[in-house]
Amino acid sequence: MPKFSQTSLLWLLMVVATAAMAALLVTASGDDPRWRTAGLDKAVERELAFQARAAFLQKVYAPVEALLAAGQAQTALLKLDELERSFSGDPHGFILRGEILRDLGVLDRAIANYVRALKLSGDYLEEASPLSRRTEIRHLVDQGLRELVPRARSNPDNRSLAATVGELHYLQSRLAGGCE
Amino acid sequence: MNFRDRHLWIVILAGLSLGTLGVLLSVWGNPQNSGICVSCFFENSAGALGLHDNSRMQYLRPELIGFVLGSMGSAALFREFRSRGGSAPLPRLFSGIFLMVGCAVFIGCPIKLVLRLTAGDLTAVAGGIGLVGGVWAGLKTLAGGVHLAPAQTQKGSGLLVPGLFALLLVFLIVRPGFLLFSAASSAAQHAPWLLALAAGLGLGALAQRSRLCVTGGVRDTLLLGHRSPLLYGLFAFVLSAVAVNLATGRFNPTLYGQPGAHLDHLWSFLGMALVGWLSVLIGGCPFRQLIKAGEGDADAGLVAVGMLIGGALVQSWGIAATAAGVPLYGKVAVLAGFIFVFGLSLVQREQEGY
Repeated sequence: MPKFSQTSLLWLLMVVATAAMAALLVTASGDDPRWRTAGLDKAVERELAFQARAAFLQKVYAPVEALLAAGQAQTALLKLDELERSFSGDPHGFILRGEILRDLGVLDRAIANYVRALKLSGDYLEEASPLSRRTEIRHLVDQGLRELVPRARSNPDNRSLAATVGELHYLQSRLAGGCE
Repeated sequence: MNFRDRHLWIVILAGLSLGTLGVLLSVWGNPQNSGICVSCFFENSAGALGLHDNSRMQYLRPELIGFVLGSMGSAALFREFRSRGGSAPLPRLFSGIFLMVGCAVFIGCPIKLVLRLTAGDLTAVAGGIGLVGGVWAGLKTLAGGVHLAPAQTQKGSGLLVPGLFALLLVFLIVRPGFLLFSAASSAAQHAPWLLALAAGLGLGALAQRSRLCVTGGVRDTLLLGHRSPLLYGLFAFVLSAVAVNLATGRFNPTLYGQPGAHLDHLWSFLGMALVGWLSVLIGGCPFRQLIKAGEGDADAGLVAVGMLIGGALVQSWGIAATAAGVPLYGKVAVLAGFIFVFGLSLVQREQEGY
Protein backbone atom coordinates (compact mmCIF):
# COMPACT_ATOMS: atom_id res chain seq x y z
CA MET A 1 0.00 0.00 0.00
CA PRO A 2 1.50 3.39 -1.02
CA LYS A 3 2.30 5.82 1.77
CA PHE A 4 0.79 9.32 1.57
CA SER A 5 2.25 12.32 3.31
CA GLN A 6 -0.28 14.38 5.23
CA THR A 7 0.01 17.16 2.62
CA SER A 8 -0.81 14.79 -0.23
CA LEU A 9 -3.68 13.37 1.77
CA LEU A 10 -5.15 16.81 2.42
CA TRP A 11 -4.84 17.74 -1.27
CA LEU A 12 -6.52 14.47 -2.22
CA LEU A 13 -9.35 15.03 0.25
CA MET A 14 -9.84 18.56 -1.05
CA VAL A 15 -10.09 17.31 -4.63
CA VAL A 16 -12.58 14.61 -3.55
CA ALA A 17 -14.73 17.09 -1.61
CA THR A 18 -14.70 19.58 -4.52
CA ALA A 19 -15.60 16.85 -7.03
CA ALA A 20 -18.40 15.61 -4.75
CA MET A 21 -19.84 19.12 -4.42
CA ALA A 22 -19.67 19.68 -8.18
CA ALA A 23 -21.28 16.29 -8.85
CA LEU A 24 -24.03 17.03 -6.35
CA LEU A 25 -24.83 20.38 -7.94
CA VAL A 26 -24.68 19.03 -11.49
CA THR A 27 -26.82 15.94 -10.86
CA ALA A 28 -29.36 17.83 -8.79
CA SER A 29 -29.79 20.65 -11.28
CA GLY A 30 -31.59 18.66 -14.01
CA ASP A 31 -35.38 18.75 -13.93
CA ASP A 32 -35.70 18.93 -10.18
CA PRO A 33 -36.80 22.45 -9.27
CA ARG A 34 -35.97 21.83 -5.61
CA TRP A 35 -32.23 22.24 -6.23
CA ARG A 36 -32.67 25.98 -6.33
CA THR A 37 -34.19 26.19 -2.88
CA ALA A 38 -35.47 23.99 -0.13
CA GLY A 39 -38.86 25.67 -0.06
CA LEU A 40 -40.96 28.06 -2.06
CA ASP A 41 -38.90 30.54 -4.07
CA LYS A 42 -38.68 33.73 -2.00
CA ALA A 43 -39.51 35.90 -4.99
CA VAL A 44 -42.75 33.95 -5.47
CA GLU A 45 -43.51 34.24 -1.76
CA ARG A 46 -43.04 37.99 -1.94
CA GLU A 47 -45.23 38.33 -5.02
CA LEU A 48 -47.99 36.31 -3.33
CA ALA A 49 -47.82 38.54 -0.26
CA PHE A 50 -48.00 41.66 -2.43
CA GLN A 51 -50.99 40.39 -4.39
CA ALA A 52 -52.73 39.44 -1.14
CA ARG A 53 -52.13 42.93 0.24
CA ALA A 54 -53.47 44.58 -2.91
CA ALA A 55 -56.63 42.42 -2.74
CA PHE A 56 -56.99 43.18 0.98
CA LEU A 57 -56.72 46.94 0.42
CA GLN A 58 -59.27 46.79 -2.37
CA LYS A 59 -61.71 45.00 -0.08
CA VAL A 60 -61.15 47.18 3.00
CA TYR A 61 -61.32 50.52 1.21
CA ALA A 62 -64.12 49.57 -1.22
CA PRO A 63 -66.73 51.62 0.75
CA VAL A 64 -64.52 54.73 0.53
CA GLU A 65 -64.04 54.26 -3.20
CA ALA A 66 -67.81 53.84 -3.61
CA LEU A 67 -68.50 57.07 -1.70
CA LEU A 68 -65.95 58.91 -3.81
CA ALA A 69 -67.51 57.57 -6.99
CA ALA A 70 -70.86 58.89 -5.73
CA GLY A 71 -69.27 62.33 -5.20
CA GLN A 72 -69.57 62.21 -1.39
CA ALA A 73 -66.07 63.35 -0.47
CA GLN A 74 -66.90 64.50 3.08
CA THR A 75 -68.61 61.20 3.92
CA ALA A 76 -65.63 59.36 2.43
CA LEU A 77 -63.35 61.28 4.81
CA LEU A 78 -65.53 60.22 7.76
CA LYS A 79 -65.41 56.62 6.56
CA LEU A 80 -61.62 56.84 6.38
CA ASP A 81 -61.52 58.08 9.98
CA GLU A 82 -63.63 55.10 10.96
CA LEU A 83 -61.38 52.67 9.10
CA GLU A 84 -58.27 54.22 10.65
CA ARG A 85 -59.44 53.04 14.07
CA SER A 86 -59.22 49.44 12.83
CA PHE A 87 -56.21 49.79 10.50
CA SER A 88 -54.16 52.43 12.27
CA GLY A 89 -51.06 53.52 10.37
CA ASP A 90 -52.03 51.90 7.08
CA PRO A 91 -50.42 53.97 4.30
CA HIS A 92 -53.28 53.37 1.87
CA GLY A 93 -55.64 55.29 4.14
CA PHE A 94 -53.29 58.27 4.06
CA ILE A 95 -53.05 58.07 0.28
CA LEU A 96 -56.83 58.11 -0.11
CA ARG A 97 -57.20 60.95 2.39
CA GLY A 98 -54.49 62.87 0.53
CA GLU A 99 -56.34 62.39 -2.75
CA ILE A 100 -59.66 63.60 -1.30
CA LEU A 101 -58.08 66.64 0.36
CA ARG A 102 -56.22 67.50 -2.85
CA ASP A 103 -59.49 67.39 -4.78
CA LEU A 104 -61.09 69.57 -2.11
CA GLY A 105 -58.26 72.08 -2.57
CA VAL A 106 -56.75 71.63 0.91
CA LEU A 107 -53.22 71.42 -0.47
CA ASP A 108 -51.22 71.54 2.77
CA ARG A 109 -53.13 68.69 4.42
CA ALA A 110 -53.08 66.68 1.21
CA ILE A 111 -49.28 66.99 1.07
CA ALA A 112 -48.97 65.98 4.74
CA ASN A 113 -51.01 62.82 4.11
CA TYR A 114 -48.99 61.82 1.02
CA VAL A 115 -45.80 62.32 3.05
CA ARG A 116 -47.09 60.07 5.84
CA ALA A 117 -48.01 57.40 3.32
CA LEU A 118 -44.66 57.49 1.52
CA LYS A 119 -42.72 57.32 4.76
CA LEU A 120 -44.55 54.07 5.48
CA SER A 121 -44.46 52.59 1.99
CA GLY A 122 -42.59 53.52 -1.16
CA ASP A 123 -44.82 51.29 -3.32
CA TYR A 124 -46.92 54.31 -4.23
CA LEU A 125 -43.98 55.79 -6.15
CA GLU A 126 -43.31 52.73 -8.30
CA GLU A 127 -44.53 53.19 -11.83
CA ALA A 128 -45.01 49.46 -12.29
CA SER A 129 -46.96 48.96 -9.07
CA PRO A 130 -50.75 48.61 -9.22
CA LEU A 131 -50.80 50.93 -6.18
CA SER A 132 -48.76 53.59 -7.98
CA ARG A 133 -49.70 57.24 -7.39
CA ARG A 134 -46.52 58.58 -8.96
CA THR A 135 -48.24 60.77 -11.56
CA GLU A 136 -50.65 62.26 -9.00
CA ILE A 137 -47.79 62.99 -6.59
CA ARG A 138 -45.77 64.62 -9.37
CA HIS A 139 -48.73 66.86 -10.24
CA LEU A 140 -49.22 67.69 -6.56
CA VAL A 141 -45.53 68.65 -6.22
CA ASP A 142 -45.69 70.81 -9.36
CA GLN A 143 -48.80 72.53 -8.03
CA GLY A 144 -47.23 72.99 -4.59
CA LEU A 145 -44.02 74.45 -6.00
CA ARG A 146 -46.06 76.82 -8.13
CA GLU A 147 -48.43 77.98 -5.40
CA LEU A 148 -46.88 77.40 -1.99
CA VAL A 149 -43.20 78.21 -2.46
CA PRO A 150 -43.80 81.85 -3.57
CA ARG A 151 -46.24 82.25 -0.67
CA ALA A 152 -43.66 80.89 1.76
CA ARG A 153 -41.05 83.28 0.40
CA SER A 154 -43.30 86.27 0.90
CA ASN A 155 -44.32 85.07 4.39
CA PRO A 156 -41.04 83.93 5.97
CA ASP A 157 -42.55 83.97 9.49
CA ASN A 158 -45.34 81.52 8.63
CA ARG A 159 -44.10 78.34 10.30
CA SER A 160 -46.85 76.01 9.12
CA LEU A 161 -46.31 77.11 5.53
CA ALA A 162 -42.57 76.54 5.92
CA ALA A 163 -43.28 73.04 7.26
CA THR A 164 -45.51 72.28 4.27
CA VAL A 165 -42.79 73.46 1.88
CA GLY A 166 -40.38 71.15 3.71
CA GLU A 167 -42.79 68.27 3.14
CA LEU A 168 -43.08 69.29 -0.49
CA HIS A 169 -39.31 69.06 -0.84
CA TYR A 170 -39.45 65.61 0.73
CA LEU A 171 -41.92 64.48 -1.95
CA GLN A 172 -39.73 66.10 -4.61
CA SER A 173 -36.69 64.22 -3.30
CA ARG A 174 -38.54 60.90 -3.28
CA LEU A 175 -39.69 61.47 -6.85
CA ALA A 176 -36.08 62.19 -7.86
CA GLY A 177 -35.15 58.65 -6.83
CA GLY A 178 -31.71 57.86 -5.45
CA CYS A 179 -30.58 55.05 -3.24
CA GLU A 180 -32.16 54.85 0.20
CA MET B 1 5.02 67.26 -9.58
CA ASN B 2 6.77 65.11 -12.17
CA PHE B 3 4.33 64.81 -15.07
CA ARG B 4 6.55 62.25 -16.74
CA ASP B 5 5.92 59.87 -13.87
CA ARG B 6 4.01 56.86 -15.23
CA HIS B 7 2.28 56.23 -11.88
CA LEU B 8 0.77 59.72 -11.90
CA TRP B 9 -0.91 59.01 -15.23
CA ILE B 10 -2.26 55.69 -13.96
CA VAL B 11 -3.77 57.57 -11.01
CA ILE B 12 -5.30 60.15 -13.36
CA LEU B 13 -6.67 57.38 -15.61
CA ALA B 14 -8.19 55.68 -12.57
CA GLY B 15 -9.79 58.98 -11.47
CA LEU B 16 -11.18 59.64 -14.95
CA SER B 17 -12.60 56.10 -15.12
CA LEU B 18 -14.16 56.38 -11.67
CA GLY B 19 -15.89 59.66 -12.51
CA THR B 20 -17.03 58.56 -15.96
CA LEU B 21 -18.29 55.12 -14.96
CA GLY B 22 -19.70 56.45 -11.69
CA VAL B 23 -22.13 58.61 -13.66
CA LEU B 24 -22.60 56.28 -16.62
CA LEU B 25 -23.67 53.39 -14.39
CA SER B 26 -26.54 55.63 -13.26
CA VAL B 27 -27.37 56.37 -16.89
CA TRP B 28 -27.34 52.62 -17.56
CA GLY B 29 -29.77 51.86 -14.75
CA ASN B 30 -28.27 52.31 -11.28
CA PRO B 31 -30.09 54.75 -8.96
CA GLN B 32 -29.67 58.47 -9.56
CA ASN B 33 -26.36 59.89 -8.21
CA SER B 34 -25.53 56.37 -7.07
CA GLY B 35 -23.75 54.85 -10.03
CA ILE B 36 -21.04 53.73 -7.65
CA CYS B 37 -21.62 53.68 -3.92
CA VAL B 38 -19.78 51.07 -1.91
CA SER B 39 -22.00 51.48 1.16
CA CYS B 40 -25.30 51.37 -0.79
CA PHE B 41 -24.01 48.32 -2.65
CA PHE B 42 -23.14 46.58 0.60
CA GLU B 43 -26.63 47.34 1.95
CA ASN B 44 -28.15 45.95 -1.25
CA SER B 45 -25.94 42.86 -1.23
CA ALA B 46 -26.58 42.14 2.46
CA GLY B 47 -30.30 42.28 1.67
CA ALA B 48 -29.91 39.96 -1.31
CA LEU B 49 -28.20 37.44 0.96
CA GLY B 50 -31.13 37.64 3.39
CA LEU B 51 -29.23 39.53 6.09
CA HIS B 52 -31.89 42.23 6.36
CA ASP B 53 -35.55 42.41 5.44
CA ASN B 54 -35.91 45.78 3.72
CA SER B 55 -37.52 44.54 0.52
CA ARG B 56 -36.51 47.76 -1.24
CA MET B 57 -32.76 47.26 -0.71
CA GLN B 58 -32.01 43.75 -1.99
CA TYR B 59 -29.76 43.17 -4.98
CA LEU B 60 -26.40 41.44 -5.30
CA ARG B 61 -24.40 44.30 -6.82
CA PRO B 62 -21.96 43.02 -9.47
CA GLU B 63 -19.78 46.12 -9.10
CA LEU B 64 -18.69 45.08 -5.58
CA ILE B 65 -17.70 41.63 -6.83
CA GLY B 66 -15.85 43.26 -9.72
CA PHE B 67 -13.86 45.59 -7.44
CA VAL B 68 -12.44 42.71 -5.41
CA LEU B 69 -11.87 40.25 -8.25
CA GLY B 70 -10.49 42.95 -10.58
CA SER B 71 -8.04 43.96 -7.89
CA MET B 72 -7.07 40.34 -7.28
CA GLY B 73 -6.51 39.74 -11.00
CA SER B 74 -4.37 42.84 -11.33
CA ALA B 75 -2.38 42.05 -8.17
CA ALA B 76 -1.78 38.50 -9.40
CA LEU B 77 -0.78 39.70 -12.86
CA PHE B 78 1.73 42.21 -11.54
CA ARG B 79 2.97 39.88 -8.79
CA GLU B 80 1.65 42.09 -6.01
CA PHE B 81 -0.73 39.61 -4.43
CA ARG B 82 0.56 39.08 -0.90
CA SER B 83 -1.41 37.25 1.74
CA ARG B 84 -1.09 39.17 4.97
CA GLY B 85 -3.09 40.00 8.08
CA GLY B 86 -3.24 39.89 11.85
CA SER B 87 -3.35 43.63 12.51
CA ALA B 88 -6.04 44.34 15.13
CA PRO B 89 -8.63 42.08 13.50
CA LEU B 90 -11.64 42.80 15.72
CA PRO B 91 -11.15 46.59 15.78
CA ARG B 92 -11.04 46.43 11.98
CA LEU B 93 -14.22 44.36 11.86
CA PHE B 94 -15.99 46.92 14.03
CA SER B 95 -14.47 49.74 12.00
CA GLY B 96 -16.14 48.21 8.94
CA ILE B 97 -19.48 48.23 10.75
CA PHE B 98 -19.08 51.86 11.83
CA LEU B 99 -17.94 52.91 8.35
CA MET B 100 -21.33 51.72 7.15
CA VAL B 101 -23.07 53.61 9.95
CA GLY B 102 -21.40 56.88 8.93
CA CYS B 103 -22.17 56.27 5.27
CA ALA B 104 -25.78 55.27 5.95
CA VAL B 105 -26.42 58.44 7.94
CA PHE B 106 -24.94 60.59 5.18
CA ILE B 107 -26.53 58.34 2.48
CA GLY B 108 -23.45 57.30 0.58
CA CYS B 109 -19.77 56.45 0.74
CA PRO B 110 -17.00 58.97 -0.08
CA ILE B 111 -17.25 58.06 -3.79
CA LYS B 112 -20.96 58.79 -3.78
CA LEU B 113 -20.25 62.00 -1.88
CA VAL B 114 -18.22 63.17 -4.89
CA LEU B 115 -20.85 61.90 -7.34
CA ARG B 116 -23.58 63.76 -5.42
CA LEU B 117 -21.54 66.97 -5.34
CA THR B 118 -20.68 66.76 -9.03
CA ALA B 119 -24.37 66.31 -9.86
CA GLY B 120 -25.10 69.58 -8.06
CA ASP B 121 -26.41 68.10 -4.81
CA LEU B 122 -25.64 70.92 -2.40
CA THR B 123 -26.79 68.88 0.62
CA ALA B 124 -23.56 66.88 0.20
CA VAL B 125 -21.41 69.94 0.99
CA ALA B 126 -21.76 69.35 4.74
CA GLY B 127 -20.66 65.74 4.22
CA GLY B 128 -17.66 66.91 2.19
CA ILE B 129 -16.56 69.26 4.94
CA GLY B 130 -17.12 66.46 7.46
CA LEU B 131 -14.99 64.03 5.46
CA VAL B 132 -12.07 66.46 5.20
CA GLY B 133 -12.43 67.29 8.91
CA GLY B 134 -12.50 63.59 9.78
CA VAL B 135 -9.38 62.87 7.75
CA TRP B 136 -7.63 65.82 9.37
CA ALA B 137 -8.62 64.56 12.83
CA GLY B 138 -7.46 61.07 11.88
CA LEU B 139 -4.09 62.43 10.84
CA LYS B 140 -3.78 64.26 14.15
CA THR B 141 -4.59 61.00 15.93
CA LEU B 142 -1.88 59.17 13.97
CA ALA B 143 0.56 61.97 14.75
CA GLY B 144 -0.36 61.51 18.41
CA GLY B 145 0.99 57.98 18.28
CA VAL B 146 -2.09 55.88 17.52
CA HIS B 147 -1.17 52.94 15.31
CA LEU B 148 -2.82 49.60 14.74
CA ALA B 149 -0.40 46.68 15.04
CA PRO B 150 1.57 45.91 11.87
CA ALA B 151 0.32 43.13 9.59
CA GLN B 152 2.26 39.94 9.09
CA THR B 153 2.51 37.47 6.26
CA GLN B 154 -0.27 34.92 6.64
CA LYS B 155 -0.33 32.13 4.14
CA GLY B 156 -3.73 31.61 2.57
CA SER B 157 -5.81 33.95 4.72
CA GLY B 158 -5.68 36.65 2.06
CA LEU B 159 -7.51 34.34 -0.31
CA LEU B 160 -10.59 33.97 1.87
CA VAL B 161 -12.33 37.25 1.07
CA PRO B 162 -11.60 37.09 -2.69
CA GLY B 163 -12.91 33.51 -2.45
CA LEU B 164 -16.09 34.80 -0.80
CA PHE B 165 -16.60 37.32 -3.59
CA ALA B 166 -15.93 34.60 -6.21
CA LEU B 167 -18.71 32.61 -4.53
CA LEU B 168 -20.97 35.67 -4.74
CA LEU B 169 -20.18 35.81 -8.46
CA VAL B 170 -21.36 32.20 -8.77
CA PHE B 171 -24.55 33.18 -6.89
CA LEU B 172 -25.05 36.11 -9.24
CA ILE B 173 -24.82 33.87 -12.28
CA VAL B 174 -26.72 30.83 -10.93
CA ARG B 175 -29.28 32.88 -8.91
CA PRO B 176 -30.19 30.28 -6.29
CA GLY B 177 -33.69 30.64 -4.83
CA PHE B 178 -32.51 31.81 -1.42
CA LEU B 179 -31.24 35.06 -2.90
CA LEU B 180 -33.60 38.02 -2.63
CA PHE B 181 -34.00 40.62 -5.35
CA SER B 182 -36.12 43.74 -4.93
CA ALA B 183 -38.91 44.05 -7.45
CA ALA B 184 -39.26 47.77 -6.82
CA SER B 185 -37.42 50.86 -5.59
CA SER B 186 -33.71 51.67 -5.65
CA ALA B 187 -32.36 48.12 -5.50
CA ALA B 188 -34.51 47.20 -8.48
CA GLN B 189 -32.70 49.92 -10.42
CA HIS B 190 -29.51 48.48 -11.79
CA ALA B 191 -27.32 48.53 -14.85
CA PRO B 192 -27.19 45.28 -16.89
CA TRP B 193 -25.22 42.92 -14.67
CA LEU B 194 -22.53 42.05 -17.20
CA LEU B 195 -21.88 45.73 -17.84
CA ALA B 196 -21.79 46.44 -14.10
CA LEU B 197 -19.44 43.52 -13.50
CA ALA B 198 -17.13 44.62 -16.32
CA ALA B 199 -17.07 48.17 -14.93
CA GLY B 200 -16.28 46.81 -11.47
CA LEU B 201 -13.50 44.56 -12.75
CA GLY B 202 -11.92 47.41 -14.73
CA LEU B 203 -12.12 49.86 -11.86
CA GLY B 204 -10.86 47.25 -9.41
CA ALA B 205 -7.79 46.60 -11.57
CA LEU B 206 -7.12 50.31 -12.12
CA ALA B 207 -7.58 51.14 -8.44
CA GLN B 208 -5.17 48.36 -7.53
CA ARG B 209 -2.52 49.75 -9.86
CA SER B 210 -3.06 53.37 -8.87
CA ARG B 211 -3.88 52.97 -5.13
CA LEU B 212 -6.69 55.46 -5.70
CA CYS B 213 -8.62 56.25 -2.54
CA VAL B 214 -10.83 59.24 -1.75
CA THR B 215 -9.81 59.61 1.89
CA GLY B 216 -6.24 58.68 0.98
CA GLY B 217 -6.28 61.51 -1.56
CA VAL B 218 -7.49 63.98 1.05
CA ARG B 219 -4.95 62.66 3.56
CA ASP B 220 -2.02 62.91 1.13
CA THR B 221 -3.09 66.37 0.04
CA LEU B 222 -3.16 67.56 3.65
CA LEU B 223 0.31 66.07 4.12
CA LEU B 224 2.00 66.72 0.77
CA GLY B 225 -0.06 69.43 -0.89
CA HIS B 226 0.17 69.53 -4.68
CA ARG B 227 2.95 66.92 -4.68
CA SER B 228 0.43 64.18 -3.91
CA PRO B 229 -0.38 62.10 -7.05
CA LEU B 230 -3.73 61.14 -5.52
CA LEU B 231 -4.74 64.81 -5.57
CA TYR B 232 -4.58 64.70 -9.37
CA GLY B 233 -6.57 61.47 -9.33
CA LEU B 234 -9.27 63.20 -7.29
CA PHE B 235 -9.23 66.17 -9.68
CA ALA B 236 -9.67 63.78 -12.61
CA PHE B 237 -12.51 62.04 -10.75
CA VAL B 238 -14.32 65.32 -10.06
CA LEU B 239 -13.79 66.82 -13.51
CA SER B 240 -14.87 63.71 -15.41
CA ALA B 241 -17.96 63.26 -13.20
CA VAL B 242 -18.98 66.92 -13.71
CA ALA B 243 -18.42 66.61 -17.47
CA VAL B 244 -20.47 63.43 -17.81
CA ASN B 245 -23.21 64.78 -15.52
CA LEU B 246 -23.42 67.91 -17.69
CA ALA B 247 -23.33 65.90 -20.92
CA THR B 248 -26.12 63.60 -19.78
CA GLY B 249 -28.30 66.37 -18.34
CA ARG B 250 -27.87 65.20 -14.77
CA PHE B 251 -26.38 68.36 -13.31
CA ASN B 252 -28.98 70.02 -11.11
CA PRO B 253 -27.42 72.45 -8.63
CA THR B 254 -29.86 72.91 -5.77
CA LEU B 255 -30.34 72.18 -2.11
CA TYR B 256 -33.89 70.84 -2.37
CA GLY B 257 -35.48 67.84 -4.01
CA GLN B 258 -32.22 65.97 -4.55
CA PRO B 259 -32.38 62.18 -4.95
CA GLY B 260 -31.37 60.16 -1.90
CA ALA B 261 -30.51 63.21 0.19
CA HIS B 262 -31.70 64.89 3.39
CA LEU B 263 -31.37 68.29 5.01
CA ASP B 264 -29.92 67.20 8.38
CA HIS B 265 -26.61 68.88 7.60
CA LEU B 266 -25.11 68.41 11.07
CA TRP B 267 -25.58 64.65 10.82
CA SER B 268 -24.28 64.55 7.25
CA PHE B 269 -21.19 66.31 8.58
CA LEU B 270 -20.81 63.95 11.53
CA GLY B 271 -21.48 60.81 9.47
CA MET B 272 -18.79 61.63 6.96
CA ALA B 273 -16.42 62.86 9.69
CA LEU B 274 -16.71 59.43 11.27
CA VAL B 275 -15.97 57.79 7.92
CA GLY B 276 -12.98 60.05 7.28
CA TRP B 277 -11.51 59.53 10.74
CA LEU B 278 -11.93 55.76 10.68
CA SER B 279 -10.60 55.50 7.13
CA VAL B 280 -7.35 57.18 8.14
CA LEU B 281 -6.94 54.87 11.13
CA ILE B 282 -7.49 51.70 9.09
CA GLY B 283 -5.70 52.88 5.95
CA GLY B 284 -8.32 53.63 3.34
CA CYS B 285 -11.90 54.45 2.43
CA PRO B 286 -14.51 51.69 1.95
CA PHE B 287 -13.57 51.36 -1.74
CA ARG B 288 -9.85 51.10 -0.94
CA GLN B 289 -10.58 48.41 1.66
CA LEU B 290 -12.16 46.26 -1.06
CA ILE B 291 -9.18 46.80 -3.36
CA LYS B 292 -6.74 45.87 -0.59
CA ALA B 293 -8.82 42.80 0.24
CA GLY B 294 -8.39 41.76 -3.40
CA GLU B 295 -4.61 42.15 -3.05
CA GLY B 296 -4.57 39.58 -0.25
CA ASP B 297 -4.86 41.94 2.72
CA ALA B 298 -6.92 39.88 5.17
CA ASP B 299 -7.21 42.88 7.52
CA ALA B 300 -8.94 44.88 4.80
CA GLY B 301 -10.96 41.74 4.08
CA LEU B 302 -12.17 41.79 7.65
CA VAL B 303 -13.21 45.44 7.21
CA ALA B 304 -15.17 44.29 4.13
CA VAL B 305 -16.87 41.59 6.20
CA GLY B 306 -17.63 44.26 8.81
CA MET B 307 -19.14 46.43 6.09
CA LEU B 308 -21.37 43.54 5.01
CA ILE B 309 -22.54 43.10 8.60
CA GLY B 310 -22.93 46.86 8.92
CA GLY B 311 -24.93 46.97 5.69
CA ALA B 312 -27.40 44.56 7.24
CA LEU B 313 -27.52 46.32 10.61
CA VAL B 314 -28.13 49.83 9.29
CA GLN B 315 -31.22 48.54 7.49
CA SER B 316 -32.47 46.14 10.17
CA TRP B 317 -32.04 48.55 13.06
CA GLY B 318 -33.41 51.63 11.32
CA ILE B 319 -30.08 53.45 11.37
CA ALA B 320 -29.99 54.47 7.70
CA ALA B 321 -31.14 57.97 6.84
CA THR B 322 -33.76 58.67 4.20
CA ALA B 323 -35.02 61.76 2.42
CA ALA B 324 -37.09 62.36 5.57
CA GLY B 325 -33.91 62.81 7.61
CA VAL B 326 -31.74 60.91 10.06
CA PRO B 327 -33.64 58.62 12.46
CA LEU B 328 -32.90 58.62 16.19
CA TYR B 329 -31.05 55.29 16.00
CA GLY B 330 -28.89 56.69 13.20
CA LYS B 331 -27.83 59.60 15.39
CA VAL B 332 -27.15 57.30 18.33
CA ALA B 333 -25.13 54.94 16.10
CA VAL B 334 -22.95 57.78 14.80
CA LEU B 335 -22.21 58.87 18.36
CA ALA B 336 -21.46 55.24 19.25
CA GLY B 337 -19.07 55.24 16.28
CA PHE B 338 -17.23 58.24 17.68
CA ILE B 339 -17.06 56.59 21.11
CA PHE B 340 -15.53 53.57 19.35
CA VAL B 341 -12.96 55.77 17.56
CA PHE B 342 -11.98 57.54 20.76
CA GLY B 343 -11.74 54.27 22.68
CA LEU B 344 -9.71 52.63 19.92
CA SER B 345 -7.38 55.61 19.82
CA LEU B 346 -6.89 55.49 23.58
CA VAL B 347 -6.19 51.77 23.60
CA GLN B 348 -3.92 51.73 20.56
CA ARG B 349 -1.97 54.84 21.52
CA GLU B 350 1.74 54.46 22.11
CA GLN B 351 2.46 55.73 25.59
CA GLU B 352 4.64 58.78 25.95
CA GLY B 353 8.16 57.91 26.98
CA TYR B 354 8.17 54.60 25.13
